[in-house]
Amino acid sequence: MGNKTTEIRVKYENILSYDINELVNMSAEYRDRCCKNKKHENTKMFFCNDTQEIESLQSMACNMLRFFHKQKISKDFRWKAALVSCGTLQVLQCKCERHKKEKVCTQLNTHNKEDTETGEQSKKKCNQEFCELKENTSSLRSCWNKFEKIISR
Amino acid sequence: MVMATMRRGNMLYNGPANQIHSLVLFSANLSLGTFGDDEPDNFDINCFSQLEFKDSYSSLTCNFIELPPDNTNYTLALCNKEDSNYVCFNMEKREDAYFLQFTDILSNKDICMDSETKRRVCRSLVVTDMVKPEVPFNVNITYQKEANEYLIHYSTPHSWKKYLQDKLIHQIAYRQEEGTWKTIESPYLQVKLLGKNLENDASYEVKVRSQPNGDFFKGTWSEWSASKSFRTTREQNFMESYSNVVLVILSILGFMLSVVMIVLIGTFWENRIKPAVWPNLPDHKKTLEQLCKKPKNNFDISFNPENFGYVHIHKVDDIQAKTEQETFLPPSNAPETNLPGKFRSGSDLKMIPAMTDKSNPNLPVTYGGIWPSEALHRLLGTSQTAVTEGNCSSSTYEVCHSSGVPLHDNGFNHSSAPSSDPSVQPGPEPLNGDTISQMLPTGEMRSPNNEEAYVTMSSFYKIQ
Repeated sequence: MGNKTTEIRVKYENILSYDINELVNMSAEYRDRCCKNKKHENTKMFFCNDTQEIESLQSMACNMLRFFHKQKISKDFRWKAALVSCGTLQVLQCKCERHKKEKVCTQLNTHNKEDTETGEQSKKKCNQEFCELKENTSSLRSCWNKFEKIISR
Repeated sequence: MVMATMRRGNMLYNGPANQIHSLVLFSANLSLGTFGDDEPDNFDINCFSQLEFKDSYSSLTCNFIELPPDNTNYTLALCNKEDSNYVCFNMEKREDAYFLQFTDILSNKDICMDSETKRRVCRSLVVTDMVKPEVPFNVNITYQKEANEYLIHYSTPHSWKKYLQDKLIHQIAYRQEEGTWKTIESPYLQVKLLGKNLENDASYEVKVRSQPNGDFFKGTWSEWSASKSFRTTREQNFMESYSNVVLVILSILGFMLSVVMIVLIGTFWENRIKPAVWPNLPDHKKTLEQLCKKPKNNFDISFNPENFGYVHIHKVDDIQAKTEQETFLPPSNAPETNLPGKFRSGSDLKMIPAMTDKSNPNLPVTYGGIWPSEALHRLLGTSQTAVTEGNCSSSTYEVCHSSGVPLHDNGFNHSSAPSSDPSVQPGPEPLNGDTISQMLPTGEMRSPNNEEAYVTMSSFYKIQ
């Protein structure tokens, strides 16, 4: 277990953390004022439960994968979000409940970004899916920070 | 069975990390003697990865070191093992190399070789262990004259990327023209070469390459950057030492000069420097005291002639220099000869030679005194003749008028109106002591005014 946590920690610190920060910076470029005003119905809340950080991260990552095909969301943003999700699952050596989701990771690996379905969505437009994904991203980063502190002790 | 098992388990890294060797099972086959039907699979592949070579994509580039002897077309594929499935992506063949771009650098992968005739052979591959950084660029050399150092600075594309930003080691190679390469390693983007370690006025060449530092990312050296040449300065050490020596000498000389100046100023300040720079203005009070010296206790000070009645004062109106001299010279004229004696004996007569003839001490030119009446008459008589004969205009002052007639009854001061003051009229009347004729000490002649007392600037300076 010690070797496994060490492997998780070094992979997170040297690779995944940079991707997560990049994703957060991308979400910050989008105007998020609308996300605060709108009430998002059926919004799934994710919590980073104590002693269940890995499970929480897995849940968040798998949830983020479902946005990969949402065309209302910017292509770059959802592509990057999928990378982060797949990287989280890879580092944690986890799988999603629905196996189809991991296929996204396979597609990401070699397919060009241009092959992804492109939606006519402007960065400045606000939609519920975008807000959910953005919130999901924030939760994922927070949970990773918490988990890293634990495994770094 | 055994052979298959051995093959699957046979994933070895032999030599550098970027080389994947398929261990020849030949030896194992030969020892066992039962595997003659299996052909040895032996292929050596060189692979390296480049992280973030294009946006978020990384790349893998492989090439065969030794081609299999039968020259069969081979295919290299990068495979991920997902559950029980093997998902492979064929690498693109570019001339003698195989290339593939991908995004996932976290998962463990396999590289597999496929051929038409042979089974797929796979090897595990860790992308982060075979990283080849991009080539450094923009190599510049700056000479720092004060420190006599050459600053070599360069850039790397990974400075604005994510994974390798501060995780590289840079190697700087330099050499003199056609000389031996020397290397320096640094994790920073600049190094310094000391001028004292380089030849003067020589041409040098510099190039740089990079490698992962090995903490997490491992790999190989990048390609060398473009070479940059520079030339060292001439006579650096000599100029430096010469300037230092000159500076030291000048400093010492300046210090010694300062000490000498301070000593001289301190020595001559009071006596020479201060009086020259700051002249001593005369103190009027002190000067006046010197001029008007305090008399002795029994010395009367008064400007009232009546107070000096007991004093024989020879009153003198004018002074005749040359002409009078002739009248006084005849030897038979006893008063003439005796005159000085009489004059000298009985009064405070002060004898002053005339300005026109200073050589004759016998001139009866008086100063500050009043002649006795007897002598005065004799003098006036003779002087009248002398006056007529002489040139009265030759001297500043005249005792007698040119006509021989006494100018006044008192014989004084022809140039002015006869004084109404009886004190200044000796004439037939005996001179009284009240008559005072004053004259300036030396060199200054003017018509005496009996009641005038003044000090001229010349006497002022003389006294001072």
